Amino acid sequence: MRWLGLALVVVAAATLMLGVADLPPHGAHDAPVHTHVGARYLERGVAETGMRNLVTAVLLVYRGFDTFLEVVVIFSALVAVVALPRGRAARSRDGDDQPPAALLTREGPAQERISVSPVVAFVVQLLGPFIAVFALASLYRGHVSPGGGFQSAAIFGALFIALALVQGRERAARLVPRGARVWLQALGPLSFALIGGVGWVLTGAFLGYPAEAAAYALREAMVVAVEIGIAVGGAVILAQLFMAMEG
Amino acid sequence: MVLFGVDVDYLAFVVLFCVGLYMLVRKSNLLKKLLGLNVMETAVFAFLVTSGMIEGADPPIRTAGTGPLFANPIPHAMVLTGIVVAVSVTAVALALIVQIHAHYGTIEVDELKGLP
Repeated sequence: MRWLGLALVVVAAATLMLGVADLPPHGAHDAPVHTHVGARYLERGVAETGMRNLVTAVLLVYRGFDTFLEVVVIFSALVAVVALPRGRAARSRDGDDQPPAALLTREGPAQERISVSPVVAFVVQLLGPFIAVFALASLYRGHVSPGGGFQSAAIFGALFIALALVQGRERAARLVPRGARVWLQALGPLSFALIGGVGWVLTGAFLGYPAEAAAYALREAMVVAVEIGIAVGGAVILAQLFMAMEG
Repeated sequence: MVLFGVDVDYLAFVVLFCVGLYMLVRKSNLLKKLLGLNVMETAVFAFLVTSGMIEGADPPIRTAGTGPLFANPIPHAMVLTGIVVAVSVTAVALALIVQIHAHYGTIEVDELKGLP
């Protein structure tokens, strides 16, 4: 059994090495990956979508369906996690009450809750507003500069988790009111469906964006609306996932 | 730079992938297995996202003063999708591990074997 695992890893390594041996060197401009639609997106992407950040253009316009369902995937993950019974309530066997911190050690002793260093707490609270502004900037300028909805969601989610760690879960949970949470956590799929519907009415295709140069402002508003949906929805989902992990 | 007949970047991805795979198959602790899975995913994402790179090219953000050569935006967008799926998988797996710990008091696979 011990050697079986090692043998599997060796076989996998050998197979992968054989596979990568034939790949073109890194950074070659004529590698197969660059010979398909990528060149077309680079050439016509700005004219067709009005976004100068072509990663966002591919994400929201050329591969819009993919991103829509991706947002649905992370929402489904939240549904799955929340649908499980809460850990402490399900604990029935011999009434042991170890905190989740003991999970990594084989027979970890029940550990006391580690108090947060005042330095860490101060730094997190000092940097909190700046992190939030950075997340907002990366959201609002995501289609013309580096950034975007998912990046913003990750920054917001990380900020929430940092605050929850230093201020306690109860105080952090108040950042997202319970009534609004139900709708905010579904904001990603909802905004995508809504803007997709608007595009359907305007262009006749679900998730279509009006292509005329005159509709630039409308198109930009649609893109920003989807990005806000992804960012807020994603951030609330990350926060909810963190809150649901309580053992 | 070429090492053992392959580009050293590719070698790094293979090593990272195999480290993750080793953790996944050899560790008994479910959390460590999940960490291994995440290391494997990191190797795949690094491989994919660097495949869009072109020597001397700018990032695919067309503002004044950039170009004429741009990196390929498609691998970037696809890896973004992949990361979201990886986060979802990790979240569900963590929730299940918490459940297993709550139910059996252990997350070691060798101790879980044979438990009702």
